[in-house]
Amino acid sequence: MKLLQKTIRNYFIYSVFILLVAIPLFYFSIQRIVREDVDGDLLATKEMLRPKISSALLNNTIDQLHFVDQNILISVSTYTKEFDSLTTVEIYDSVAQEVVPHRVLTSNFTVNGKPCFLQVKTSLVDNDELIKSIATVEVILLLLLLAGLFLINRNLAKRIWKPFYTTLGKLRKYKVEKHEPLALSKSSVSEFNDLNTSLEELTVRTHNTYLSQKEFTENASHEMQSPLAVFQSKLELLMQTAPLNEEQAQLIGDLADASQRMTRLNKSLLLLTKIDNNQFADTEKISVDKVLEAFLQQYQPQINEKQIMVSKKFESEIILNVNKALIEILMSNLLGNAIRHNYFDGRIDLLIKENTLIIQNTGKAVALDGQKIFQRFQKDSTDNNSTGLGLEIVKKICAIYNLKISYQFSENLHCFTVQFNNL
Amino acid sequence: MKLLIVEDEIQLSKSMANYLQRQGYTCDIAYDYKEGIDKIDSFDYDCILLDITLPGGSGLQLLKNLKAENKLDGVIIISAKDAIDEKIEGLNLGADDYMPKPFHLSELNARVAAVIRRKQFRGSNVLALNELTIDLLAKTVSVNNKLVDISKKEYDLLLYLVSSKNRVISKNAIAENISGDSIDLYDNFDFIYAHIKNLKRKLTAAGCEDYIKSVYGMGYKFTI
Repeated sequence: MKLLQKTIRNYFIYSVFILLVAIPLFYFSIQRIVREDVDGDLLATKEMLRPKISSALLNNTIDQLHFVDQNILISVSTYTKEFDSLTTVEIYDSVAQEVVPHRVLTSNFTVNGKPCFLQVKTSLVDNDELIKSIATVEVILLLLLLAGLFLINRNLAKRIWKPFYTTLGKLRKYKVEKHEPLALSKSSVSEFNDLNTSLEELTVRTHNTYLSQKEFTENASHEMQSPLAVFQSKLELLMQTAPLNEEQAQLIGDLADASQRMTRLNKSLLLLTKIDNNQFADTEKISVDKVLEAFLQQYQPQINEKQIMVSKKFESEIILNVNKALIEILMSNLLGNAIRHNYFDGRIDLLIKENTLIIQNTGKAVALDGQKIFQRFQKDSTDNNSTGLGLEIVKKICAIYNLKISYQFSENLHCFTVQFNNL
Repeated sequence: MKLLIVEDEIQLSKSMANYLQRQGYTCDIAYDYKEGIDKIDSFDYDCILLDITLPGGSGLQLLKNLKAENKLDGVIIISAKDAIDEKIEGLNLGADDYMPKPFHLSELNARVAAVIRRKQFRGSNVLALNELTIDLLAKTVSVNNKLVDISKKEYDLLLYLVSSKNRVISKNAIAENISGDSIDLYDNFDFIYAHIKNLKRKLTAAGCEDYIKSVYGMGYKFTI
């Protein structure tokens, strides 16, 4: 979930909760206040009527006691117990011609020793409508408040977080091998400025580390050349010495193999640093299928030896504007792997379709780890002949030209796909 | 036959001199740029083995001087850099060959022989070894004046073995010589064995003595 959504979501949930609780609470409390008010009025009316009833009873004129107000009913009671009861009753209103709620005070009391019955009622229609209007206005106000809060918050958050997102975007594009400063803009928020400063320092440090690491690999493999050359030449001279018994010869042979492997490893490392150093900058127009054809021809002896069946299906021509040496290394590595990791009587399919090159081959019946194969020294431990750098080199070259390379294993075929879309 | 080795790595130049001297060459060694210039000015060499990064100057500059003086010495550049543009520059300046370090001495020897052969038009482009004759121009092999039908790979292999005759050539060196850049494609060196076996079979069938000997699995030797 995005940062903005997350903050706004919490605000939103809180506001809705408050709203849902507040509206009924508000409604009922207003209603209660109004009820109490009405009840008070009714009891006050009773107290007001009490002296009049008392004098009317004394004068025996209770039956003459009439009120204009239809809502008051007085009669002589036979029941002596005193009580007051307040109820809400639905009564038909002849004026409004509908049933409306009324608050009714039913009271029995004794005045001057004579029981008396009094009923006072008042319509609640006006009060209910008032409550409803107040509640509606309140709801509208709350909703407006909520919407306003929501919008202001969102816009404010967007504005406040903008430098953060700019930084994030730049960071995403940052590549340690390219020396491009982040150039983060100043923000009015000090935390973001701190973040930007830290990031800038971090990238500079990372870049420097990268440089020194690269330099080390470069120097190490470069400096290794001379001792390797000496080692190899002395071994060859040692081979010429006589007498040499079988055991010695075997040892020298093993040493020669090891020195050969060191040489090749070193060459691959040097190539990697050269690619890193952008020493293959000049480009020319190159046709992928022509390069492939050339390597097929060059590798024909090896293909024949393993009796590998090669099928080609070039449906389109891919022309690239790239460095020739790099694309040759890329193709020879992929094709070379397809031959080397193949078995006797196996097969290789080469397919060019639109902007995609697919090289698939038979080989070990287990899928390789697609995540790991493009990393350094991820190799078949049994295969002494591979340096473990071939696919790393392939990946580096693909990265330079933004080519997408992927590996799949299906129907017992190892399949490498290179997409040239981005060129 | 006189060679000059211009190489600052003392042990490497010693090894090169050692190997080449046993092939019958006279070898001078220069360990830096100045020494190299002095030697080139004072003597004529059949072939100069030239390192590029030298104390006191660049081997390429040395090559320029040499060509400016219209000297005809053959030049093989030996470099630790293995950079394509450097190779092209060297060859453009008039070098005859380019070898990246590290290299096999047997390979160096074969290349020196090839450069010298190209430089000296002695009329004789034929290597005669008892009953075996190799015609370097026509690239043919004959035994007792009868042509032997061998493939190009086998011809190259034979020439390589002969160029360092009586010396053990390691399997690695042979593999590299035969397969060139595609050596990575092999899981093992069985293919050398196959090539050698075919070559031996064809030569002996033509009546040639079996000169090619395996040396304890370490390598092969053309013994004569």
